Amino acid sequence: MAGSIRGSDLAEHAASLERPASPLRARRWNVVRRAARARLAPFGAAVMLVAVLVALTAPLLAPYDPLAQNLGNTLARPGRAHLLGTDSVGRDVLSRVIWGTRVSLLAGLVAVAIAVIAGSLFGIVAGYCGGRIDGLVMRLMDAVLSFPPLVLALALGAVLGAGLVGVLIALGVVYTPTFARLMRGQVLAIIARDFVEAARALGAPGWRIAWRHVVPNAINPIIVQASLSVAFAILAEAALSFLGLGIQPPQASWGSMINAGRGYLQQAPWIVFGPGAALFVTVVGLNFVGDAVRDALDPRTRG
Amino acid sequence: MGRLVLRRLGSTVPVLLLVTAGVFLLLHLTPGDPIDVMMAESVDVTVKENLRRELGLDRPLYVQYATWMGRLLKADLGRSIRNGEPVIENVSRRLRPSLELALCAMAISLMIAFPLGIVCAVRRNTPIDRAGATFAVVGICMPNFLLALLLIFLFGVTLRWLPISGYTDPLDEPWNGLRSLALPAVTLGLALAAVVTRTLRSSLLEALAEDYVRTARAKGLSEWRVIWSHALKNALIPVVTVLGLQLGTLIGGAVITEYVFALPGVGRLVVDAVFARDYPLVQGVVLLIAVGFIVSNLIVDVLYGWIDPRIRSR
Repeated sequence: MAGSIRGSDLAEHAASLERPASPLRARRWNVVRRAARARLAPFGAAVMLVAVLVALTAPLLAPYDPLAQNLGNTLARPGRAHLLGTDSVGRDVLSRVIWGTRVSLLAGLVAVAIAVIAGSLFGIVAGYCGGRIDGLVMRLMDAVLSFPPLVLALALGAVLGAGLVGVLIALGVVYTPTFARLMRGQVLAIIARDFVEAARALGAPGWRIAWRHVVPNAINPIIVQASLSVAFAILAEAALSFLGLGIQPPQASWGSMINAGRGYLQQAPWIVFGPGAALFVTVVGLNFVGDAVRDALDPRTRG
Repeated sequence: MGRLVLRRLGSTVPVLLLVTAGVFLLLHLTPGDPIDVMMAESVDVTVKENLRRELGLDRPLYVQYATWMGRLLKADLGRSIRNGEPVIENVSRRLRPSLELALCAMAISLMIAFPLGIVCAVRRNTPIDRAGATFAVVGICMPNFLLALLLIFLFGVTLRWLPISGYTDPLDEPWNGLRSLALPAVTLGLALAAVVTRTLRSSLLEALAEDYVRTARAKGLSEWRVIWSHALKNALIPVVTVLGLQLGTLIGGAVITEYVFALPGVGRLVVDAVFARDYPLVQGVVLLIAVGFIVSNLIVDVLYGWIDPRIRSR
């Protein structure tokens, strides 16, 4: 028996020599397993999956045209014909909630993607170049951070014009400094290590060191922060469209639907509570996913 | 201590300069001609030209910035193009409701968070603790405009206990004033309470595991005294940090809360100015809010150094 165990060990060793990626892949799986073990992660993952599916299949899933008005059937109670009732111009609330899922998810993902890309670039440049450039870039980030996030997004959204693109850029700018700071810290820690020194000694150009050696090693905290940020970006988009920026009526977004239903709380509270529940459940679910990703990737929280 | 203050002040100056530059450029980020965006097409051309000259938009950018900065140094933040009043007057008229709202919200959040955080830490892993954790998640994930509408629905529309919009100054009419601030303050305070509860629980748990707590227990002190005069004091440091970090969220939350409850505060002023396309007013108010935010962060930092002597020496 002992021989066979050793034998299989050897075989595995040989296999790993042939495919150098396999231990890395195994480590990745550990990460996923740890994420799944977290108590609330399954709920979060389910919410995320449902939200993505709803967003992708909105045209098939929505029972009515989200923009079709029916002035003969306004403020209808939730019932068999309209599961979440109708709004003040007789549009089906459920269909609008379903279409609004697209806007919310898109906004969350795109805003965070803008911030990750811009922030990482700033962080790499600052950390790698050091000196005056570092000082200038980081003061610039500090300046962005000296505005309360919502006020900055509101002001930027105002000058960029109402509409989804303006809000996405505004939110991207708001979240950029977080990623820039994170990336800069990572870069500073990594370029002090031996393998970077070795790459430099071999004559690798700066961009190659940054791309092949620094970025892959710096990426974990960025992933953690990004997954935690998506939920908050969705909240922020909803808040801005509640205030009247973001996607414009009659297009449906959760925030603008909630704002439109504000005046009908007494007669038709479902106009507010339909999109409200969707928003709340999505944000809670994404938060759990974010926590799980952090627990899995951040060595400090590993129990 | 003095050195800490000086160092923080020193690093604030360049940031302030960049902030003013950013706010100045805000007007110039507008796609197209800012004058056309601000005024309807029907407005007379000469009126538009007058405004252009008044705002200095016909001069080169660096001249505009220099004049604008020069006026800033004289505490002149420009005038609203809608009501023609100086920005400073617009803001100072709106400051009181905002400060009262912030104060009430802070009071409510601490009144909830302190007992709850302590109980959750002391009775760890009991149903109370789990209820506290649930409260924290709900508080953090609940958008405050949704919470505001839930509260309006419950206490305003269904039970009819509290007014759902409008503002009475509590300094004029204490009872009606507090009633008008009750729902907004709970709206704004609940999220903060959630964050503080979570922080206080974890930092108190950490403190309770320390050696000095074991010593205090070994001396025969009552559990209440151990918590109150030994553990809690050290557990407060992260709470102050978190309160500082939450300032920005609090200001943003105040904007939305004032909007929903029609409170005539600074936050409402920002929203109104944005939608009236009153860019000089937007610039002025945003700059004042940013400066207020920077100064409060400075105060929190200094406070932090005062509470925790280890930070001063660093």
